[in-house]
Amino acid sequence: MTIPAVQPNRLPRGGRIDRTRRLAFTFDGKPCEGFAGDTLASALIANGVSLVGRSFKLRRPRGIVGSGAEEPNAIMQIGEGAAAQPNVPATQVELYEGLVARTTRGWPGVSFDVGAINDVFGRVLGAGFYYKTFMYPRSWWRYYEHAIRRSAGFGHAPGEPDQDRYEHMNAHCDVLVAGGGPAGLMAALTAARSGARVILADEQTEFGGSLLASTESIAGAPAAEWIAAVGSELREHPDCTLLSRSTVFGYHDHNFLTIVERCADDGGSSGGGTVEGSPQSAVNPVRERLWRVRARQVILTQGSFERPLVFCNNDRPGVMLASAVSAWINRYGVLPGRRAVVFTNNDSAYRTAIDLADAGAEVAAIVDSRGGGAAELGRRARERGIAVLEGHVVSDLTGRRRVRGVSVAKWYGESRATVSPAIRIDCDLVCMSGGYSPAVHLHSQAGGRLAWDDERLCFLPAESRQANLSAGAGNGSQSLEECLADGLRAGKEAVSRLGLKAVAMSAPATSPFAENPIEALWRVPAARDPDRCAKQFIDFQNDTTVADIRLAAREGYRNVEHVKRYTALGFGTDQGKLGNINGMAVLAETLGKAIPEVGTTTFRPAYTPVSFGVGAGESVGELYDPVRKTAVHEWHEAAGAPMEVVGQWRRPWYFPRNGEDLHAAVARECLAVRNSVGLMDASTLGKIDACGPDVIEFLERIYTHDVAGMKVGRCAYGIMLGEDGMLMDDGVVARLAEHRFYLTTTTGGAANVLGWLEKWLQTEWPDLQVYLTSLTEQYSTLALAGPESRKVLDRLGCNIPLDNDSLPFMTVRQAVLAGMPVTLFRVSFSGELAFEINIASDLALAMWKTLMEAGREFDITPYGTETMHVLRAEKGFVIVGQDTDGSVTPVDLGMNWLLSKNKDFLGRRSLGRPDCVREDRKQLVGLLSSDAATVLPEGTQLIEEPGSPPPVPMCGHVTSSYRSAHLGHPIALALVAGGRARRGETVYAALPKRDPLPVRIVAPVFYDAGGQRQHA
Amino acid sequence: MLLIECPWCGPRAETEFSYGGEAGIVRPADPDALSDAEWADYLFFRANPRGAHRELWNHAAGCRRWFGVERDTVTYGIERSFVLNAADAGPDSDPDPASGSASGDVVQAVGSPGLEGRAGARTRQGE
Amino acid sequence: MPGDNVNMPETSERRPRLETLVGTAESVDDARVEIQVLPDRGFLNLRLDPRHDDGIAAAARVLGQALPLAANTFTTGVHRVYWCGPDEWLIDADVERTASLRSELAGALTDCHAAINDVSSGHAAFGIVGNDARIVLAKGCTLDLDPRAFGAGQCARTNLARATVLLAIADDPPGCKIIVARSFADYLHRWLALAARQRDASS
Repeated sequence: MTIPAVQPNRLPRGGRIDRTRRLAFTFDGKPCEGFAGDTLASALIANGVSLVGRSFKLRRPRGIVGSGAEEPNAIMQIGEGAAAQPNVPATQVELYEGLVARTTRGWPGVSFDVGAINDVFGRVLGAGFYYKTFMYPRSWWRYYEHAIRRSAGFGHAPGEPDQDRYEHMNAHCDVLVAGGGPAGLMAALTAARSGARVILADEQTEFGGSLLASTESIAGAPAAEWIAAVGSELREHPDCTLLSRSTVFGYHDHNFLTIVERCADDGGSSGGGTVEGSPQSAVNPVRERLWRVRARQVILTQGSFERPLVFCNNDRPGVMLASAVSAWINRYGVLPGRRAVVFTNNDSAYRTAIDLADAGAEVAAIVDSRGGGAAELGRRARERGIAVLEGHVVSDLTGRRRVRGVSVAKWYGESRATVSPAIRIDCDLVCMSGGYSPAVHLHSQAGGRLAWDDERLCFLPAESRQANLSAGAGNGSQSLEECLADGLRAGKEAVSRLGLKAVAMSAPATSPFAENPIEALWRVPAARDPDRCAKQFIDFQNDTTVADIRLAAREGYRNVEHVKRYTALGFGTDQGKLGNINGMAVLAETLGKAIPEVGTTTFRPAYTPVSFGVGAGESVGELYDPVRKTAVHEWHEAAGAPMEVVGQWRRPWYFPRNGEDLHAAVARECLAVRNSVGLMDASTLGKIDACGPDVIEFLERIYTHDVAGMKVGRCAYGIMLGEDGMLMDDGVVARLAEHRFYLTTTTGGAANVLGWLEKWLQTEWPDLQVYLTSLTEQYSTLALAGPESRKVLDRLGCNIPLDNDSLPFMTVRQAVLAGMPVTLFRVSFSGELAFEINIASDLALAMWKTLMEAGREFDITPYGTETMHVLRAEKGFVIVGQDTDGSVTPVDLGMNWLLSKNKDFLGRRSLGRPDCVREDRKQLVGLLSSDAATVLPEGTQLIEEPGSPPPVPMCGHVTSSYRSAHLGHPIALALVAGGRARRGETVYAALPKRDPLPVRIVAPVFYDAGGQRQHA
Repeated sequence: MLLIECPWCGPRAETEFSYGGEAGIVRPADPDALSDAEWADYLFFRANPRGAHRELWNHAAGCRRWFGVERDTVTYGIERSFVLNAADAGPDSDPDPASGSASGDVVQAVGSPGLEGRAGARTRQGE
Repeated sequence: MPGDNVNMPETSERRPRLETLVGTAESVDDARVEIQVLPDRGFLNLRLDPRHDDGIAAAARVLGQALPLAANTFTTGVHRVYWCGPDEWLIDADVERTASLRSELAGALTDCHAAINDVSSGHAAFGIVGNDARIVLAKGCTLDLDPRAFGAGQCARTNLARATVLLAIADDPPGCKIIVARSFADYLHRWLALAARQRDASS
């Protein structure tokens, strides 16, 4: 990359940049150069770039306005490829070697944008233009939207996976100080000296806030010395955490705050994030860290935003906030213009005029709307030969891609909304200051109220809802002296709220002087009709003008929230940090109300945009969500079984042999179980030990069947209902001893069922003595199913007899199998003779291998979840959550036989509600497709008549559907309105891209309806 | 994220808890004695107040206890936590004998001083 | 309940879980933090009413140490006994001793409403030691891990990353023991390894 020899706008000296470290970067492909310590914005100004983008709607050329989070125009695409970041303000990008920046708005380019024609037709592109124009015909919106979004010219999200690493960090502190300017530093110092655990966070690369751009002195020395001294003292405190490059972006409930720390926000070149000398340094550096902080007290010292002034063509490149210009000069050593006009309604911008003059620029005039001008600062400006036009305003501006001059007119005050004939002043820079708006975002996010201050002309933080205080410029302080004193006060108050004793200390000395008060100037009336004059911009990013807000008011919008949505005021990535207050003032004026009557829009997190990556933190890739593995997992993997994701569990889906696909493998596995023997890992089932003197009474209330009648050693299929009568979960209930039961739940229901049972025990029936212990992880469940399954167990050697008389269907025994202790259940989910072996998980793999070995002569076949589903569907066994959905009663499923009539149980009363006894409720049925070939997609809707006019009434839907290898044709389970009485009838399955298929309603049992096989 | 005071474990982050709805809904002793409307009232209708709300929470990732919380539905401020019945009150507590199940009134935390700091738990008035 | 404690299968043959539970995550051991996969321990889950003085005393006699009654604490003796809830404890015992300890507890508590379950197979344990151990844990745990708030002798069931764990802080030797359900062990180990490797300014 060739580096240009000079940075034309770089001052020969000054600023907090490191002139020994030159950094090369590109802007829209053009090579540029800056220094360490620059932001992208300051480097662009140094390189003489003034056009940085096109506006959102009107495509007007735009330049840099601010120097921080408020910047609305210089929105860039940073980096390339996977590391690209869209929509980043150049003012918040720390310059690094090799940075690649592109403008995001303007096609084909920012200098020539075909959309600029919009500006010509801007009159018809007023508020609500899109709402009004693209309404009809309604079905066309999808095409409109596509075109509008493309021409909107947002940045592009990278298509590749993000290679950067992000992490989360939880923290606790006594006092969190948000903002490291003079007030924040003072508050943090006070809290730390008083013994509090402190976190101080600031979004900038270094602490100091506004002091970094100021020429003021503290305690008789340059402010930088004071910042350095406070910083090193705080670093010495073991209980103080200093976070720079860290934006407190969210203030949530109960003093929980979120901070994003940019650790290596430089395309990964800084090499941070690993332990030096660590052998594992192959890990990429952490790019951003999300701090999740629970603070006992919060001190908000986030400073304030300077407001733009509203006049015709106030959006032209070269119009900047006065405070930003001071920052360019004092902090970055760049001069954004050669001949400036300063336009203000308060004293602060006089400092900028003085900074400009001292940096060698010509200040053509200070235009001050106030008749009395400034106090001490006015004198200092005049000392430097600067002309001060008191009682004047800038009414219009010339220049298109760069300001060329301003029209200045005499100002008679708001009561006479006219301006005198104008004086023309040539300039290439306009520095504007409409006063300051405290950054009350976090205070408001925390639920705090705002109060309008008529003297300072801004909203100030009023009552807090949470444990927080505001201080400094964000609390209305105007001078450095006030900021330091307010920070000290807040620090002391915070520690005293914590019950600590505040140390005796005072704020360092400054040299204050008198200032004249601000005067309201919300917009400069144009010489022509305000609705037809050149545009007066309020929200630069969204092209919201004075005329738009007036139009919204004329069309009946009164509420500021509605005006915001209609005009897009404050909708951009900058969230209206510059324009909102001016917009509210113009709305108030139009409505004839006072500003506090109009109020503000709602402040919500995030304060500045936050990347998705840092939200995800470490939870990406293999750590996206826990992967739970059964004790036999490694065997399944070695066998090449594809895994099915079942919640967090991974379960073998099928076990392909010789390159089989799913269908071939499942057909083989099904036949193996029906004809010989198969083995399945059912370990993910929930398992609960329930014991205690009242366990029978408890389970009687929970389960629908007769629990008390179960003898020791018996099992039962048990279902539990919600109090609304709907099926909630099912499983096996096994009575192991007089007062001890072993319950199984569905895989997905394990945690919820235990919590539900505990809820009834703890909140409703605390008199019942029952203890529940989860054994889900302790025991693995191996299901051995098929006519040869008993022979396999016989070969293993079991210490109890396994014949049908000794261990009949639905019984349970403790046993020793192959020398390993097991609990042996004679239960079946396949309809075959089957045993479920529950064994300590540490032994499960050994038992699995032993069973596979013993079953070799029967060609024992491991089978997965898919085969399990087919086998159970052939038997008409439902799966909770697949064949049911929270609106299905056991009666709907034909399970009346499970409902005891001799007791109450949860949900029983609801089964008698009128809605639950409707005859047209959806009921479980079987379906056979007429062509004996089509496997109906699960979820298929069923209709009565093909060719009915839309909307076609639906009478049911398919819940389970499989190809049955054993039966030789597809089968399905479905819920059909009044279905049980409709067996033999035909309904139609609505299939995509083909004619509705006739299907016959049958009983939901396709195999061994008498159940002889499982009793064998 | 709320900071919820478990009566045993002290203040913990909301992510450790699961929500159990309005507290004090007592299951009718004889459901059959209720009309359909009365049963529906028990089943479906909740107070949904604006302001103070007594609700059930379960310290699911902690001690697995269910307990009550009085939370303001406007400010989300938590006024207090309470155990639900005598058995939960611990050996040293003396719960109101009148308080039946799901409606207890014991306010005292019976457990540790807490590992989450007690900061935000009572934050209604900015302290 | 006499006779009620039918023996659920005991764990007679065990294999070390290290290789089965923890996959391929790189181990971490540097000057400031070390993640250890702890050798197998036996675990018993005990449920007992803390107001049942005789039962509490009987259990203490069998264990040779007191059941901690203060929330979120543990006692250390021959075994470690962690408070898990107001009527729930986890006993961390020598793996060879677990079965007999379970029978002895059952025998001593026949007159009480109690539940004793061997949950050795259901758990895995990690250790994290070193100066940065708390920083690594803080990445995934919302507890205040400052030693003044969570010090030696304290334990807590809580969330670590996306798993539910029992954390216990000891000073003999100093470090934190992490007990987790077995099916989460591989996930948690991978998370711990990443969190330990990927650290810098967090310290």
